[in-house]
Amino acid sequence: MKKLLKKFSPQNILKGLLLGALLLLPLLIQNGPYAYYIRSLGLIGLYALLALGLNFTLGYAGLFDLGYIAFYAIGAYTAALASIHGWGFLPAAFCAVVLAVAVRFLEGIPILRLRGDYLAIVTMGFGEITRLVLNNLDSLTNGPKGLPRVGENIYPARLLGFTLTTNTHYYYLILILVLLAVVISYRLEHSRLGRAWVAIREDELAAELSGIPVAKMKLLAFVISGGFAAIGGCVFAFWERFVTPESFVFWESVLIVAMIVAGGMGSIGGVLLGALILGGIPQILQVVLVGSRWIDYRYFFFGLILVLTVMFRPQGLLPSQRRKTEMLGE
Amino acid sequence: MGGLAYAKPGLRICIILSSVTQRQRGFLREEIMAKRGILFFSCTLLAGLLFLCACADKSNVVRVAVAVPLTGDMGTEGQGVRRAVELAVELANESHRFSYPIEARAFDDRADPKEAVSVANIIVSDPKTIAVIGHYNSGCSIPASQVYNRANLAMVSPASTNPKLTQQQLESGWSGPRNIFRVVPTDDVQGSFAADFVAKKLKLRRVAIIHDKTPYGQGLAEQFRDRFLSDGGSVLSFDGIVIGDRDFKALLTRLNSIKPDGIYFGGLYMEAGLLLRQAKELGLRAPFFSGDGSKTDELIKVAGPAAEGSYFSITGIPVEYLATAKPFLEKYNQKYPGVSVKPFDHFGYEATNIVLDALAKVGSDRGKIIEELRKTRYSGVLGVTEFDEKGDTKNKIVTMTQVRNGEFSIVTN
Amino acid sequence: MFSQQLVNGLVLGSIYSLIALGYTLVYGILMMINFAHSEVFMVGAFLGLGACALFGHVGGGWVSVVGVFVLAMAGGGLLGVLIERLAYRPLRHAMRLIPLISAIGVSIMLSNSVFLWISNQSLPFPQIIAGHPIALGNFELNSLQLLIFTISIVLMIGLSLFIKHSKVGKAMRACADDIATAGLMGINANKIIAITFLIGGALAAAAGVLNGVYYGTIKYNIGFLVGVKAFTAAVLGGIGNIAGAVLGGFVLGIIEVMAAGYLPDGNQWKDVVAFVVLIGVLLLRPSGLLGEKIAEKV
Repeated sequence: MKKLLKKFSPQNILKGLLLGALLLLPLLIQNGPYAYYIRSLGLIGLYALLALGLNFTLGYAGLFDLGYIAFYAIGAYTAALASIHGWGFLPAAFCAVVLAVAVRFLEGIPILRLRGDYLAIVTMGFGEITRLVLNNLDSLTNGPKGLPRVGENIYPARLLGFTLTTNTHYYYLILILVLLAVVISYRLEHSRLGRAWVAIREDELAAELSGIPVAKMKLLAFVISGGFAAIGGCVFAFWERFVTPESFVFWESVLIVAMIVAGGMGSIGGVLLGALILGGIPQILQVVLVGSRWIDYRYFFFGLILVLTVMFRPQGLLPSQRRKTEMLGE
Repeated sequence: MGGLAYAKPGLRICIILSSVTQRQRGFLREEIMAKRGILFFSCTLLAGLLFLCACADKSNVVRVAVAVPLTGDMGTEGQGVRRAVELAVELANESHRFSYPIEARAFDDRADPKEAVSVANIIVSDPKTIAVIGHYNSGCSIPASQVYNRANLAMVSPASTNPKLTQQQLESGWSGPRNIFRVVPTDDVQGSFAADFVAKKLKLRRVAIIHDKTPYGQGLAEQFRDRFLSDGGSVLSFDGIVIGDRDFKALLTRLNSIKPDGIYFGGLYMEAGLLLRQAKELGLRAPFFSGDGSKTDELIKVAGPAAEGSYFSITGIPVEYLATAKPFLEKYNQKYPGVSVKPFDHFGYEATNIVLDALAKVGSDRGKIIEELRKTRYSGVLGVTEFDEKGDTKNKIVTMTQVRNGEFSIVTN
Repeated sequence: MFSQQLVNGLVLGSIYSLIALGYTLVYGILMMINFAHSEVFMVGAFLGLGACALFGHVGGGWVSVVGVFVLAMAGGGLLGVLIERLAYRPLRHAMRLIPLISAIGVSIMLSNSVFLWISNQSLPFPQIIAGHPIALGNFELNSLQLLIFTISIVLMIGLSLFIKHSKVGKAMRACADDIATAGLMGINANKIIAITFLIGGALAAAAGVLNGVYYGTIKYNIGFLVGVKAFTAAVLGGIGNIAGAVLGGFVLGIIEVMAAGYLPDGNQWKDVVAFVVLIGVLLLRPSGLLGEKIAEKV
């Protein structure tokens, strides 16, 4: 009986309601004037997926990665090329993940012994190199003109016999993926792996001396995050059906880092909230300010909100348990 | 196992509550308050937004959406197109041509394809919008066009030159009407024209080509290269630059050492101006050629005296020379004093007028407007505009201009 | 051609170095990446433009040139101090990456502010320092290039001397070593930090003016790309190290120019080359070219 009551704790009821709302929302609004919210939520969902992926690297393991969007790009381009050559969604996704994981592995090995901000710059370098290569290798990627080329097509995803074409379809796909990501994150966070990562984040030397295989753990975090990004990129390619290097600029990597840090490093709820707010605010502002002169101020407000958010909640919007205990001790 | 997971939060709170001091309990309360505060705030925000949007639009206004980059790196150019569109709408309202008010609504796609599609979704959801002028970058226009197609909304692009934008309407996957039009010609005409000019009129043999790695600039450069080669010329180099980069001295120094007869640049005025300026500083005196993306007073501002003698091809006849364009320039300078016209502004102006023309003929039904646009034969700042079966403008007149005494003059044959 | 390219690289490098110094100074004391620094550079350029308009009425000559620099640098320094006071200091006790987010927000606000309230066009920058060619052997050196290089070197040497020999400089070095202990020694850490941001901002503004004069136009978005390069330069040289920032700036400038000048299709690939070199250097010397290996005390 007690266990049952605990199941219905206010926290869990809230989570349940939220989930219910997310599941029902598209069905309610898709034929009305607010249908574009479905797309906005889908995009926020993709950001959430990315943020959850980077959370392994930055949130749990504490590795400052400024080049994460490159793996989203690798996922998207691989999927695009696969689809153009007739491959279906699942084979394309598989390919994308394998490639992203391999590149992440190769990136990780030489650079994981770098300290803090040096790691940031090098990962940024990798990110930029990836984007520039995608932009310059016209023969493969059609450069700035993007894929697909004239006369080619990226076909909509076919999953289990069902063709995904509308915003609503992709919304549900993304929702499922985000929920999966949350479950995986939760499981890993509360496993030996998760504790090892936190140990590395808090004090790498002590962790090493305690017997944790630091290099292997770091690489694992790196690689797992790469996989998440690749899947996100794959979905993006099939949804948008057009990929250009412009979508994968350095600024996007910075944005995802901001989502994690402002939301609450290492906290799943915090990361999701960060993605919702930082991903959602530009969209909300576009809608709210539409038609007025204020629309030019959209990003100014975004910057202001960013500053105010960290100013008033420096521990993150929904900090992880550890952070809460730390702040309590002040 | 599952039950334990649910028990953990409750258990945790119990442990914390029983072992923290009074002060720390205050912090915990603060945490819970903060969470409640966030929840309350977001609920009110959401409610407020829905209320705002729900305020029904009961007026009889008709809207033309303009979707361009209003902020970010391409903000300058997008704002220019927006100004031109707003000017056209304002003039239409002033002339009382319509019995109802026309409104131009600007949307910011930030030159980001994702934003462009989001913006497209918002635009099509407004039943009072009858057409969209946009987008600016081909990378934004192409994905957005699919949204407009599904919503049966006419799209007239003032600046996207990637052939795929209109070509995709002829492909098998395209359902629904052919609702995409553009008033700006694709690059195949300008590039070839310039190549012929350089090879046959000026009789230059060895040319170095630079482009800005955008669909517009690179497309132009590739066209020039192909035609120039077939005209018997030789292309010494084909280099890409990055928009936003300002130092091209390394590239120009290398070109200086291979001594080209001429330099062709596919790109926009900012980079063109910087290239001209830096070329002059390095003593690189080969004549400079570029396209309509560079032909604007901004170029002369950026390049200064280095612009003298350089050539720019444009589609149609220069705005300053066209009798029908004079009111545009006058009104533009009146409404926006001190702001120079950007290369694609008059395309935006023309696009809007073509749409308004169609509106006047068939009323505000989206489908009818698309059909009427296909039959367009409009005379304005671009000369005469008609659309072919793909929606591309048939206006393929190209004029070559040259900078003389700080101004653009037509090069007569 | 080689000597010309070398000159190109050195001038480009001077501008990178001036900005890199700002990044490295702040990082040395606060262990923080001042993301907003590149926008101080941009604002400094606009301040310089305003100053030119002011002095244009007074009269030309060296007085007005110095005046423009002084005004712009004062403004840039002030802006740096203001940003620190409003956006970073309240967050100093927080986790290391939090001030970075604030910096990002400030950076967005600054570039958008200029876009919204000053100009969303590119504005021409007056040629307050006229350049004329100086023939040296078989290539032409522009006096403007020489001047930019010289001004940058003078500023860097001035900074170096200041750090080494003045009392404030000593205090700055102490804070960079161990800010807590420096506080215990009686150094007012807040004041020193403010001075650091002042100097960084002033240098960035000077770089902005030089950039404006050299390229002839300025725009609200010139900060971002240069900022990324300058920060890369600072890391390349060893972040926290002043000589490293200078060296990094010049090395990066030269690498970029050489890649663009000599590789086939070089101009497209120069950034890739620059980053590959960066990664290579950091693999061999993980603390940067001149960075010190800080032994971790257990």
